Amino acid sequence: MDNSVFDALLTSVEKPARYMGGELNSIYKQNALFSFALCFPDVYEIGMSHLGSRILYNVLNKRDDTFCERVFTPWVDMERKLRDCALPLFSIETRKPLNEFDIIGFSLLYEMSYTNILTMLDLSGIPFYSRDRGEEHPIIMCGGPCACNPEPIADFMDVVVIGDGEEVVNDIMDVYAACRRDGMSKRDTLLAMAHIDGVYLPSMYEPVYEHGRYTGTVPMCTSVPATTVRRVLRNLDGAEYVGKLIVPFMAIVHDRIALELFRGCTRGCRFCQAGFVYRPLRERSVETLMDSARSIFDCTGYDEISLFSLSSGDYSAIHELVPAIVDEFSGRNVSIALPSLRIDSYLKQDLEKIRTVRKTGLTLAPEAGTQRLRDVINKGVSEADLLRSVRDAFESGWTSVKLYFMIGLPTETDEDIRGIADLARKVTAEFYSLPKNSRGKGLKVTVSVSTFVPKPFTPFQWDAQISPIEIRRRQLLLKEALRGMRSVEYQYHDSATSVLEAVFARGDRRLARVIEGAYKRGARLDSWDECFNADAYAAAFEAEGISTEEYAARVRSTDEVLPWDHIDMLVKKSYLVRERDKASRAETTRDCRMGCNGCFGDKYEDYCKVL
Amino acid sequence: MRIIARFSKGENVRFVSHLDVQRLFHRALMRAGLPVEFSNGYNPHPLTSFATALSVGVSSEAEWLEVRLKYDVEPQDFLDRLNASLPNGFRIEEAFANEGDGGGSLSSCMVAAEYALQFTCNSHEAAVRLTEDAFDLLNGPIVVTKRTKRAGSKEVDIRPGIFYIEITFDDEVVRMLVVCELTSTGGTNPELLVKALMDRAGMCFGYRIHRKCIYSADGSYMPKYHAIVMPSDTVTT
Repeated sequence: MDNSVFDALLTSVEKPARYMGGELNSIYKQNALFSFALCFPDVYEIGMSHLGSRILYNVLNKRDDTFCERVFTPWVDMERKLRDCALPLFSIETRKPLNEFDIIGFSLLYEMSYTNILTMLDLSGIPFYSRDRGEEHPIIMCGGPCACNPEPIADFMDVVVIGDGEEVVNDIMDVYAACRRDGMSKRDTLLAMAHIDGVYLPSMYEPVYEHGRYTGTVPMCTSVPATTVRRVLRNLDGAEYVGKLIVPFMAIVHDRIALELFRGCTRGCRFCQAGFVYRPLRERSVETLMDSARSIFDCTGYDEISLFSLSSGDYSAIHELVPAIVDEFSGRNVSIALPSLRIDSYLKQDLEKIRTVRKTGLTLAPEAGTQRLRDVINKGVSEADLLRSVRDAFESGWTSVKLYFMIGLPTETDEDIRGIADLARKVTAEFYSLPKNSRGKGLKVTVSVSTFVPKPFTPFQWDAQISPIEIRRRQLLLKEALRGMRSVEYQYHDSATSVLEAVFARGDRRLARVIEGAYKRGARLDSWDECFNADAYAAAFEAEGISTEEYAARVRSTDEVLPWDHIDMLVKKSYLVRERDKASRAETTRDCRMGCNGCFGDKYEDYCKVL
Repeated sequence: MRIIARFSKGENVRFVSHLDVQRLFHRALMRAGLPVEFSNGYNPHPLTSFATALSVGVSSEAEWLEVRLKYDVEPQDFLDRLNASLPNGFRIEEAFANEGDGGGSLSSCMVAAEYALQFTCNSHEAAVRLTEDAFDLLNGPIVVTKRTKRAGSKEVDIRPGIFYIEITFDDEVVRMLVVCELTSTGGTNPELLVKALMDRAGMCFGYRIHRKCIYSADGSYMPKYHAIVMPSDTVTT
């Protein structure tokens, strides 16, 4: 792109730093054979906050034969400008049009980013559907947590990666390099990738309906397996991490050093997809983590380190790691943030140390308001634990606590909703019960409530989401229950996107047309309140003759064939059924570090070391 | 000790906002391992102060900052280490030890700033017309609408804040060297002049602004400002 054209673009948009490039540690290569566009289907400050993309950028650019550049969804002002000037969407590094890349890879983090994929393809003149693309078009792939049910976006993709990406992208590039060397066609190149563990080629499969009833998605040729088994990175401690981390000019959402302590989670909260699809638990060593912290600090100068895992407090060496970080970095005024952490008495000493550097907010996720419902969802936190945690935190000087809850969980009653308010009241009471000289000033308790979305590969994958009307009723019920409560702030979200998340999370291939229809009717950046266009979606569903209730609000029978049954995430379906039965009896399942619960079955038993 | 430094902000980073510039300097100081002093309190921050902000989209060779260090570092050493860690586009041009402990802040001694403006017109004729419009404009008050901090806007005459202007043109390109008021409490942003010019001409031009110099009253660190009395007829072409 010509410099003066680029300047004119930047001058006319709200946040030019989103498109500018040239950040510290960004990579520029001259003679790589292949070009890879690492696409994040949301704006720069969101995409740059995604740890997985940072890892893949490093892994891909470690290869001599590949130059991986970043591409993000433009904000509406830039999209308009690009269209007005008939310019294609371009990469951050070299401003190369997206359609000129060899391979395009999208990270799928949330369902409401699906239309952003279409924005990016459309702005580059790339046909949406894989069947409409030819040899001249890039290979388009995707991966990430939403890829575990890829069916709603399957028709747009040539390749879907199921599972951990670090190794599989290298395998894909190796096969791609060999195929290019041999001058193979796109179809043959794709088929060659079918042999890579964790690779799913949607165009080689077809959903089958018998008498209008879905009976499964089956291979259309013999070169692809009937089911795609999730790729697991066995040795996380030895795996590549983020390398020399790019330091953006503009503030991004997670603008700090992120240390991924471990992948996987042993708790088995029944609503949590990540808790099932990232099994088994794989930890990094304290040594590796300290090395990462040091090298990232040296190349970024960041002033904050955050511990990043599904349940950081469960890290087996947490009491070794936290003091080590504090000792090494407090002298340099680097603070440490502990998100979603369980506080216990050991940690209290660590907290004292943290306070000496800089205070960050404290976040706790009881998820449900009563013990009964917490047992249903297998959230192993008791009220006593929680209150002890906040008391410790208040005594250590914390004054701001954020509590995460969900409404609409299976079996929830109004009593459970009022339980949320009771818990919030007890948390504030802990604060005010402390003598004034042993607590901070200005308590702020934030009660943040999201709506439960049933997700594939969880014990609740068969369950219904409550209706939008019921969501609103329960939100207001809680609002009423929290009314007048001192120091408590209540945050909740519009129900419309929660319903769409439920539809797309458990959707099938018919939904591609809905995504396309919503996009064509103007749906853009759907996860942004100021952009979300409910009417575009409503019209698209209507035009396709598809009801959202059919997907979101229907209880499925456990013997129904599910649209994601040809994807094997390692956890057995029979295990999920068992967990669902236990949930209905409010029976808990132990943390699997206390003993194996047999979720993988015999077939994949050897994948899991936590026995 | 306190170190005063002048740095440049290149064309490639001219869209980086002032807040982002401050943050990137903090990070560069940390990467360089310089012994920056931090404030006390719950959220310690590095003790740096910038003379003045620069509008987004404007490049510069005259940005000034002061950094407090825990112990003495040779200014040349400071310059070398910081330059090795700054992102492309930012460069420390000179650095001095600020011996006097008290003294005014960098911003309090500013009086004026010099900018190079460059307009790219579609044709030679348009360039001639732009030049004529500029002369016209400078002959009287230049009233522009200025957004105020509180909601709303007000009409101001920016002509008194323009101390000196020199106009040249070369085929389709018009260049202006403008000296205008810049103090710790405000001054005249050259973009307001550009806006007034576009209004007068009734069209938009591609333009670039580059800050060349910040002048001080006393000549310590920043060059001393010598007022040039400029009747409108000294405008040159």
